[in-house]
Amino acid sequence: MTTSAAPASAATSPGTLRRAADAPVEPLLSALKVRKSYGGVEVLKGISLAVNPGQVMCLLGPSGSGKSTFLRCINHLERIDGGRISVNGELVGYAQRRDRIFEMNPREVARQRRGIGMVFQRFNLFPHMTALENITAAPIGVRRISKQKAKERGLELLDRVGLANLAQSYPAQLSGGQQQRVAIARALAMDPKLLLFDEPTSALDPELVGDVLDVMRTLAADGMTMVVVTHEIGFARGAADVVVFMDGGVVVETGPPAVVLDNPQSARTKAFLDSVM
Amino acid sequence: MSHATLTTPVRNEQTGEVDPDDIVAVPLRHPWRWFLAVFLLIGFVSLGISLWQNENIDHPTITEFIFNPRILSGVVLTVVLTVVAMLVSTVLGVLLAVMRLSNNPVMNTLAWLYVWAFRGTPLLIQIVFWGYLGLLYAQISLGVPFTDFTIFSVDTNTLIPALTAGLLALTLNQAAYSAEIVRSGMLSVDEGQYEAAYSVGMSPVFTLFKVVLPQAMRVIIPPMGNETISMLKNTSLLSVIAVLELYTVATQISSQNLRQVELLLVVSCWYLFLTSVLSIPQYYLERYYGRGKARTLPPTPFQRVRALLRRSPVTVRRTESQDAS
Repeated sequence: MTTSAAPASAATSPGTLRRAADAPVEPLLSALKVRKSYGGVEVLKGISLAVNPGQVMCLLGPSGSGKSTFLRCINHLERIDGGRISVNGELVGYAQRRDRIFEMNPREVARQRRGIGMVFQRFNLFPHMTALENITAAPIGVRRISKQKAKERGLELLDRVGLANLAQSYPAQLSGGQQQRVAIARALAMDPKLLLFDEPTSALDPELVGDVLDVMRTLAADGMTMVVVTHEIGFARGAADVVVFMDGGVVVETGPPAVVLDNPQSARTKAFLDSVM
Repeated sequence: MSHATLTTPVRNEQTGEVDPDDIVAVPLRHPWRWFLAVFLLIGFVSLGISLWQNENIDHPTITEFIFNPRILSGVVLTVVLTVVAMLVSTVLGVLLAVMRLSNNPVMNTLAWLYVWAFRGTPLLIQIVFWGYLGLLYAQISLGVPFTDFTIFSVDTNTLIPALTAGLLALTLNQAAYSAEIVRSGMLSVDEGQYEAAYSVGMSPVFTLFKVVLPQAMRVIIPPMGNETISMLKNTSLLSVIAVLELYTVATQISSQNLRQVELLLVVSCWYLFLTSVLSIPQYYLERYYGRGKARTLPPTPFQRVRALLRRSPVTVRRTESQDAS
């Protein structure tokens, strides 16, 4: 009766996620020309990045450069206006059927977020739960893991971040550094494939920063895929596989830390690094 | 007892310096507090005596009726009405608050309309309205709109007797107020809490019950305690539709024995007693939901009394040191 879209054209239509046949490794996170505006002001002007499994990527840049916004787009806390973000080969926040893109419902988005952990600048622990309950709430309630198993795993994770003795403490009874390490354990409890860090040490006293960075270095060494927005140049130099310098909503420079941090090609990157170091 | 006072500073034998000792100062006196207390005490005692000796109050009537079976059944009904109306209205209030804060424009508008209507008209009028619903709709029936098909049809006054009408009025009215209290509590929860919950894969509904509402409770409970006390007293308004709660029973008795003042005193005693009792669960609820907010929880009244008893030796020591000087 009416003409329907030819199925053959679907594979080649522009929105389709390309599965590169020649690449040996499929990137875990790939962003393609991501755009995002707030009330007419474009804060992300076409960000294209890719992170392979096991890689650590550090995002550097002045405040307002869009690095935190980009990070929040990766787990759909912010919706993007243009471009594509996919994690593990799956579009984030949208579903693609044939050549059309559909908005996901909140339950599907929640399911997707289980594979993407996030650590916040202000920790955002649940204040009415103990450290252990903070970690086990989602595995018990969302993953439907038995209470006993979740508790064992929670204690194991607390031990891993060096806080086994504080399982029964409430967040208000912990220092900032301890809270942030509980937050990391909480994110790890869902066994995410990708961990996002949004300036994890910016709200900490200088002497507490080291403990959190140590935990992050261990995670990186264990092969966790991480995207870290940070001002800790030392961490980026030691732990990152890729360093990205962003400014004004665009990627200015990207490459291994030895290149971007020690031999920056762009004048903007140079000026920024001079001011922080 | 070798308590050193400020007048005899101790010289450190090794360094030769004067060590500042514990301060044992004479406490500041507050004579006006005593004056005011005595003044008020005299006032209250004389008021009490004048009430006691007032010949218009027949004391035997008060003692006769305070535990009268009819009064007691009124007390029970008042408590039942308060508890049921508060429980149901709280559930409704949470539902309305969630609707009001949802992105769904239909839900949002519906909740707004509800609060607007039930908060905008006097409770007394709502009670009378539900009590006399039969005047508006003689029959209540369920069926398909715009057709003659009906599933059942029943006489309004059979379906909604006075007690049900009273409960409906109190509950529906209270839900509008509770909704606003719950909404304010939910708005007090930090945005970061939603983000953290979403980031570990919690759905919006799970986040609401596990993360947002437990934190909102801390803000919700004090005004809800207030509302419960209001509700307890507002049940007396049901006398206009002849629900046999405390006040209705008392007016019925006083219309027979013409002891209005005595029975009002009986009723007042009961209301005061009940409101005092209600503040106990509120205290413990506040304590429970306050966990995690403060580093240490405030002591319960019992713990406070025990602490006071333990502290008394300090006062003893002070008097000793004063004796020594």
